[in-house]
Amino acid sequence: MGTRRLALAGAALAATLLAACSQGSATNPDAGSGGTAGGASVTLKFQSLQDQPAAVEAVKGIVDSWNSAHPEAKVELIQAGWDGIYDKLVTQFNGNAAPDIIHYEAASIVPFARDGYLADLTSKVPADLKSDISDGIWKSVTVDNKVIAMPTELQTYVVFANKKLLEASGATIPTGDSMTLEQFRALARATTKDGQFGLAWGLKSPTATFMSLALTSGGTFFTGTGKEAKINVGAGELAVPKLVKEMAYTDKSIDPVSLTQSGSQALASFYAGKAAMTVQGSFQAANIKKDAPAGLDWVELPPLAGSQGTAQAANPQTLSVNADSPNADKAAEFVAYFANAENTAKLNQADALIPASKKAQDLILSSTGGKDGWDMTMKSAQGLTGAPFLAVDAYTQWKDTIATPSFQKYLANQIDDAGLTQALTEGFTQVNR
Amino acid sequence: MTITSAVAPSPTTQDRRPRRGRQDRSSQQRREAIALVFPSLVPIVIFSVLPLLQGVWYAFTDATLRRNDTADFVGVDNFTRLAGDSFFWSSFRIGLIWAVSVTLLQLVASLGLALLLNSDLRFRSLTRLLALIPWAMPPVVVAIMWTMIYTPNGGPLNAALGAVGLPSGINWLGDFNTALPAVIVVGVWIGMPQTTVTLLAGLQQIPTELSEAAAVDGASAWQRFRNVTLPSLRPIVVSITSLNFIWNFNSFGLVYVMTEGGPGGKTMLPMLFTYLEAFKNRNIGYAAAMGVVLVIVVVLILAGFLRTQFRKETA
Amino acid sequence: MNRTSTPVKTLQYLALAAYILFLGFPLLWLVSASIKSSQELAALDMSLLPKQFHWDNYAVALQKQGLTRSAVNSLVVSLLSMVFVVLLSMPAAYALARFKGRLRAVGVGWILVSQVFPVILIIIPLFIILRDVRLVDTLMGLVLVYTTFTMPFALWMLQGFVAAIPTDLEEAAAIDGASRFQTLRRIVFPLLMPGIVATAMFAFVAAWNEFFFALVLIQSPENYTLPVALKMFVGGEGKVALGPLAAGAVLATIPSLVVFSILQRRLTGGLLAGSVKG
Repeated sequence: MGTRRLALAGAALAATLLAACSQGSATNPDAGSGGTAGGASVTLKFQSLQDQPAAVEAVKGIVDSWNSAHPEAKVELIQAGWDGIYDKLVTQFNGNAAPDIIHYEAASIVPFARDGYLADLTSKVPADLKSDISDGIWKSVTVDNKVIAMPTELQTYVVFANKKLLEASGATIPTGDSMTLEQFRALARATTKDGQFGLAWGLKSPTATFMSLALTSGGTFFTGTGKEAKINVGAGELAVPKLVKEMAYTDKSIDPVSLTQSGSQALASFYAGKAAMTVQGSFQAANIKKDAPAGLDWVELPPLAGSQGTAQAANPQTLSVNADSPNADKAAEFVAYFANAENTAKLNQADALIPASKKAQDLILSSTGGKDGWDMTMKSAQGLTGAPFLAVDAYTQWKDTIATPSFQKYLANQIDDAGLTQALTEGFTQVNR
Repeated sequence: MTITSAVAPSPTTQDRRPRRGRQDRSSQQRREAIALVFPSLVPIVIFSVLPLLQGVWYAFTDATLRRNDTADFVGVDNFTRLAGDSFFWSSFRIGLIWAVSVTLLQLVASLGLALLLNSDLRFRSLTRLLALIPWAMPPVVVAIMWTMIYTPNGGPLNAALGAVGLPSGINWLGDFNTALPAVIVVGVWIGMPQTTVTLLAGLQQIPTELSEAAAVDGASAWQRFRNVTLPSLRPIVVSITSLNFIWNFNSFGLVYVMTEGGPGGKTMLPMLFTYLEAFKNRNIGYAAAMGVVLVIVVVLILAGFLRTQFRKETA
Repeated sequence: MNRTSTPVKTLQYLALAAYILFLGFPLLWLVSASIKSSQELAALDMSLLPKQFHWDNYAVALQKQGLTRSAVNSLVVSLLSMVFVVLLSMPAAYALARFKGRLRAVGVGWILVSQVFPVILIIIPLFIILRDVRLVDTLMGLVLVYTTFTMPFALWMLQGFVAAIPTDLEEAAAIDGASRFQTLRRIVFPLLMPGIVATAMFAFVAAWNEFFFALVLIQSPENYTLPVALKMFVGGEGKVALGPLAAGAVLATIPSLVVFSILQRRLTGGLLAGSVKG
């Protein structure tokens, strides 16, 4: 009968699949930190999020060199994706199955530190590394006076410009150590004409950019830490959003579509010559080098400076250690090794990012000769400093449900300065209950 | 037997027939029911009921995702706080608009497609396969792909509109007024295969003799549709529509990738909001309270809808 | 079916074409994106045909992130879930549809609640339970979770299909002396085939496309399923390697299309025709 044959086929299929399934099971059923603590050799699980092939190679190189020097504490590299890593970590920590060494970024790892999941690395930081990295960057990885992560890679927001279009408009291309916001605005105005905008700025997710650039004008948004943090939205905080709004609606020098696009999407206008400049993360220099059309003569402009200089918020990528790892000490040693000058220089050059250590920055400068925007990127790195919002408990909630929609409404000209101030302050009071 | 009584399943006919002995029958029935249901109970209890009870329990505590957190019982505190949370209720409203629009549009569009696929047009196998394309794509791909299609400057949608003289500069995902409708279209797109497949299966189950007999009796195509097709499809339409409503109300991955709840919170669905509270704010107790409220409201909405449907069935 | 007039037929074909365009165009776009270089993808002018055919994306997609391995994982998990779901749900759906009373109320109640309650809130208790039975980071654990969470809607759907089958047939069989089991096997099961196929497709797709559980329950890269592997193409800051992602997505679509083409042939019913005598 047909059904009988179908049933037999189904059973055979199920049997083969079950066999295949059990082969695919994990080799070690104990999820989480593996290895025998106190035994001859241990394995440290290192969950890494690198996605660029060159960076993946660099990380592998660092891990291999550690493993050959430390056979008793081998590091096992586990590849995971950036997207979704937050949910994964939350579940891993709450299910007591987190890896020993965790790769993430400061803004996102701090909540885990405050919840008590990360080991204290303060005593493991070598003295020379401590002095080599600026205080501002250390602040971004310190919680309750404890260093909970090593900073490895950073980025800044920089301005890329189309040399030909700038020269054609008669403007001089700035080359100094910084460029004021007024100069920037004037450049955009000068390069705006029919069929061409001065600036394409991908501000679909505006909060991170505005929080960071507000520091150029002394806008810290928050004072205090934890649940007691207070918000204050004043002239410094509104300087950059106001500038963007005025450039968009008064000068009409910003491509309005770009305001609703992501940074990478806004690059398209820049490549097509429809926008003379674009504000991007510093890492885009490598992508621009690869993807820009043949005739595009691009250049990176000096870092943006407000009334308080070129300060930007440091949000480094980090390596942390699981507090519940049985081999926390050894893991911490590896993390300190990973974060040293030579290793981070190699990694950041491959990844087109900025190392935290000054020595490493110099290594990159000498190795690249400052070309392809590296000189300006390193100049912008000098302004990196600690960000007050990292210490605020309800920051992420405020950012996703209050700040981002409010900034978007402001940029779409639906609310004015007073409306924005009100939305941000009242919203924070509500989420911080 | 007339056509109508053959088509409309009437459970009450069972009771009208002579019984061996009331008690024997019902206990035998119960044993049979338990035997039929038992195999599915084991995984359900362990993997679904237990975590669900735990999840509901969280709603009455102040649980957070801290290390070694002590979840203390706080009674209905979370709920009273939730009652005054305007952001939650505004996302709830958006969720309702989203779920109702997508579900209705899905039903209408899929019914049309299912009818077409059920008729004797050519290339049936090929078109049935093509109709399943949205199902074959992982949601992350769907979201990125549609974001590309919606790109205002240089995207294919605006290019096509421009080619026929319609306005071609609309910023679909960035404009406050078009963001939710644009996302609803993608919701319908991604949900069409499952509804079409279900309705098609339902259509296939209708005996052809019934519609042929009706045609012989002189009924037009529309009359046949109304009096033969629709009534037979009713239980299936009810089940797939209610399921679609629940799924659509619960979805957030798709919208999250496309708009992240923006612009200006115009596409902030309630599940996204709950997720932010649970995972980003790590207040799992408060988030669980949101979950409980969402369940209650959806069940109430569905209960009303289902009761009217069941009443029609037994009439 | 009856003859339909030519203008109506033309309209039908037009409508069908419109549907296919709506449903199929994005895939076409995806294929076109998968053969474009990153330079072309970053440019403003997006035409369907690439200026230069760039097949590298496929090579990159296959090499990177162990795409084939994750595809196999996904296939195994999805097929197993599909089989388990159908096997477990069929008898239970029959019970739900035919037996009234408390069982039905409890069943329906649990189905609704488990579908509506946010999955994200139960993921942690679920993770802990799986860890305790040592099924975390295993494909089998994933199959069990998928089966459990697909069953509610499989039950709900199947009971709708069972309810649509007239009880007269079973009553006739009962009069003829058949046991419940024989009735189920000889009469209900064949009639239910389209519904079973539809449910099987559901279960397959639900498992195939599922991302969140796979993300948090699987730790080792060799156990990653396809959606998780594809997500790895999306880097930090939303940097998307669009070309390889599109190539990976096109490759990912093929297995499910194959499974669909096998299953959808069984959707043709007509088995009920002739069994209900007037």
